[in-house]
Amino acid sequence: MARILPFTTDPHRETRDLMPWLITGRLEPEEQARVEAHLAACEECSRELAGERALASEVAELPIATGIGWAAMRDRLDTAARQAASIPAAPPPGRRRFTMRQIGTVLAAQAALLAATVTIALRVEAPMASYHALGSAPAATGGNAIVMFRPDARESDISRLLKANDARLVDGPTAANAYVLHLPEAGRTQALDRLRGDAAVVLAEPLDAAALR
Amino acid sequence: MSDGTVAHRQTGEIGNVATPEDLRLFAGVRARELDAFEALYRLYHPRLARFLLNLLHRPQLVEEVLNDTLFVVWERSDTFRGASKLSTWIFAIAYRKAMKALRRLDEPVEDHDADMRPSDGDAPDARLGRHRTQEALLAALAKLSPDHRTVVDLTYFHEMGYREIAAIMDCPVDTVKTRMFHARRHLRRLMDGDLADWL
Repeated sequence: MARILPFTTDPHRETRDLMPWLITGRLEPEEQARVEAHLAACEECSRELAGERALASEVAELPIATGIGWAAMRDRLDTAARQAASIPAAPPPGRRRFTMRQIGTVLAAQAALLAATVTIALRVEAPMASYHALGSAPAATGGNAIVMFRPDARESDISRLLKANDARLVDGPTAANAYVLHLPEAGRTQALDRLRGDAAVVLAEPLDAAALR
Repeated sequence: MSDGTVAHRQTGEIGNVATPEDLRLFAGVRARELDAFEALYRLYHPRLARFLLNLLHRPQLVEEVLNDTLFVVWERSDTFRGASKLSTWIFAIAYRKAMKALRRLDEPVEDHDADMRPSDGDAPDARLGRHRTQEALLAALAKLSPDHRTVVDLTYFHEMGYREIAAIMDCPVDTVKTRMFHARRHLRRLMDGDLADWL
């Protein structure tokens, strides 16, 4: 049995003050022994403890939920990386590593998806070089669609979708994790519809001058 | 993965998270590994979201403060010296950022959505269901000050000791005990019948 030190103040008050952490098991052994010894002898404090336990379990079970997640943070990192990539002298980092400088240039927490899309599309259309700063493969031509997969999409989902739609990967992932695809011209609209309908796809848009207007 | 998260309390895990896993991930964050940061993010996100939503009561603000907090963890990982638990350091950043956001709003934070909840005065003779009890408790929590609410949530949901809470809120331990005592008294008074029903 632990040595029981006497209360330095009013035992009722100290017991009442420490009760919450007795319930959650976060007291020091000496404190716990002291409080338990008092509780054993004090009916009033024991009743108080019962009520407090009820409150504690209710608070712990409260359903407090939010609808936010990693995707928003990833957007923010991507925005930072994209801004860094537009600086001509940006170094070519590994795909999954970001430098302090790149991350440090964040301005907006989350670019709206639509705005991001237009930015990506415009960039793919004209100055392809801006992506090379991120170390992606040499510029390929012939892309006619842009696709973004959910951040948690598995590689197997992506290859399944590419095969099913007879798509060829032309470029990507870009800083925003978008991929430039080539889809057969004949069935491009239908293929895009199929891609949009897939749970793993966030965005699938045609990529050509006409589509941007 | 679902982006909507509900923090579930798992006794023995939450509130005592200075695990080797924590520290291994954090070492990766220091080495600028995005995968490690994502894993740490996912580990802390539900707890911080719950903590901040309880404190701020504004989902939009929660998202901003939560991401600001974890962004600091990513950017300033070199400033964590290991003097406290990693969780204490991260929650302290979140708390500071949340209080700053509240000050920036410069508006009363209590009970802003009371109209959306059933009043705790209706149907006093009704046998209250569990859902109803939770509604009443949420309404009662909303009437507390942000500081009192924070102490209650850190104690009972995150299962932190009063010393750790004092470190997070940067105040004396006696202040934590006092805040907790007043918050409990207040909650139990506001809950009155509800709590008695299932005792």
